[in-house]
Amino acid sequence: MSAPKVAFFDLACCEGCQLQVANLGEELLDLLGHIEVVEFRELMSEKWDGEYDLAIIEGSVTNVEAEEKVKEIRSRSKMVMAYGACAVNGGINGIKNKTPMEENGRIVYGDRFKDYPSMPTKAVGDVIDVDYIVPGCPIYPPEFLKVLKSALAGLEYVIPDHAVCVECRFNENECMYEKGINCMGPITRAGCNSWCLNNGNRCYGCRGLLSNPNIHGARDVMKKYDLDPDVILKSIDMYNAAAGGKDE
Amino acid sequence: MKDVLLKKELFNGFVEALMNSYKVAAPTRRGDKSFAFNFITDPAEVCLDHIPTILPPKKYFLPQHETLLEYNTTEGQNMQAFVEIEPMVILGVHSCDIAGIQCLNHVFMDRPKDYHYQARHDKILLIGYECLRKCDQYASCGLMQTHTPTGGYDIFMTDMGDHYYFSINTFDGKSLVQLFDGFELADTAAEKTLKKLRSDKKKLFRNETDVSLAEIPSIFEWGFDSHVWDRTAEKCLSCGNCTNVCPTCYCFDVNDEPELNLAKGRRVRVWDSCQNETFAIIAGGENFRPKRAQRTRHRFFRKFKYPVMRYGKFFCTGCGRCSRQCMASINLKETISNLKRSWGEI
Ligand code: SF4
Ligand code: SF4
Ligand code: SF4
Ligand code: SF4
Ligand code: SF4
Repeated sequence: MSAPKVAFFDLACCEGCQLQVANLGEELLDLLGHIEVVEFRELMSEKWDGEYDLAIIEGSVTNVEAEEKVKEIRSRSKMVMAYGACAVNGGINGIKNKTPMEENGRIVYGDRFKDYPSMPTKAVGDVIDVDYIVPGCPIYPPEFLKVLKSALAGLEYVIPDHAVCVECRFNENECMYEKGINCMGPITRAGCNSWCLNNGNRCYGCRGLLSNPNIHGARDVMKKYDLDPDVILKSIDMYNAAAGGKDE
Repeated sequence: MKDVLLKKELFNGFVEALMNSYKVAAPTRRGDKSFAFNFITDPAEVCLDHIPTILPPKKYFLPQHETLLEYNTTEGQNMQAFVEIEPMVILGVHSCDIAGIQCLNHVFMDRPKDYHYQARHDKILLIGYECLRKCDQYASCGLMQTHTPTGGYDIFMTDMGDHYYFSINTFDGKSLVQLFDGFELADTAAEKTLKKLRSDKKKLFRNETDVSLAEIPSIFEWGFDSHVWDRTAEKCLSCGNCTNVCPTCYCFDVNDEPELNLAKGRRVRVWDSCQNETFAIIAGGENFRPKRAQRTRHRFFRKFKYPVMRYGKFFCTGCGRCSRQCMASINLKETISNLKRSWGEI
């Protein structure tokens, strides 16, 4: 059996998720022993014109070219994986959906904004069918490998739908709220092994909201600790504006 | 077995002697207000006077992630059970946490036995440490009657001023004491002091609630449909802290983790929680506890009713961790009290 042909693509993003893949180190070498990478801009210049067994897409769709590109990738791929917050739910690029497109254009390109047509940010899954997702800004490399293995084995991978707090507790961190610091952990999906909390930071919600977060409850918790929920919940918008946070 | 005494200034020497023969875990400082059991490298790390650690010592009996077996499908369905545990001592375990381990023993060593649990259990020696005052407002060891030990340890230490009193309960406990030659036999005076101290404790560790242990079964008999569950769950974020930190919660999920070659891999058991929304989803996508209130209620019934039916025992040690860790201030004592008061209001 020949090694599965895998291609990496990027749309509007910072390429930070590719960097996480490139930085896998020994695991990357192991990985390269089991797949054939046919396109990966960060690592190689070659292109491929055949069928991809797996296309891995980073970044969000923010213009017509990108929309056409992902459709073309889909038509040539057996499986598609969207990875990183930008691809999975719009990520930071979603912030622009909060202001009219024309205003965004003027802010960035000044009077010549019409030369650079843009549209509201969409996640890859809003444009094409996606078989696998790896949320996070950036992706958590061990989770990326888990999802990749599931894809190669043809198995379903379900992203956890429980709170980051679960992993934070496994890691026996002292809760941020106990220190009077706000944290998005209770309303954010786990899967990153509470990466930020383990390193002394709070959770910013980069992996996206739970499918049924208790936002009223989270507000009450913030108020209890004298924190301003309106300001804090805006940080959810930082990664999730395109997805539109819903209450309950 | 004869009990012994150890002068306080010799305690660190004893810990060093333990460390020469065993891996030693003990409560250590984790943050301003918190403690965690960790393997120590220096007796100075040990904090005997601690409030319950973030995670109870169950993490050594039932680790958060535990490899159960390794598989290799290149030669059929080859599976090899996997157990990795070195002999260890857990030092400074409060009586409520020993009670928690006793609950887990019931569950995992009942038939069918869980051999992974058994293997760990057989390699772990417990040295308890007596509470002489209640740790904080969250504890309910007075209600649950767990502030004084009732077995389940190898050695139990009690602070007697310039000495520690070592109650020796097992041959393993005796062999630990033999590792160090600074002990003296406990005389009748010391035994009397211990008895007095334990009877004085009854006044210090009074029931923290307006509910008596004896009436809990009846409260949970009719409490299933109480409005308390809806009201309590409004605040709940389903973060799972209360169950993960509970010494008697033991639910888990099992996953296969393949290596990149996909042929080899390992089967891992991971803690799960009834507070997680996905916990009760079964084949076909049906979720039999989709509502937060159902999950909150389930947690309490899993402490105060179901294990009483199955094992004749409450599965709450009164350690207070669930209330201490709940960012939404859902408090166990208040909830039971509210449940009692809600009778007739349904
Ligand atoms: S620090 Fe954040 S993620 Fe961790 S338990 Fe507290 S709220 Fe949850
Ligand atoms: S802890 Fe929160 S912000 Fe950090 S990686 Fe995980 S989900 Fe993202
Ligand atoms: S809850 Fe009670 S028995 Fe447990 S540590 Fe605190 S004082 Fe001791
Ligand atoms: S710790 Fe509190 S908020 Fe979290 S699941 Fe338990 S009761 Fe709900
Ligand atoms: S229910 Fe709460 S108080 Fe009771 S044993 Fe569990 S964590 Fe401790």
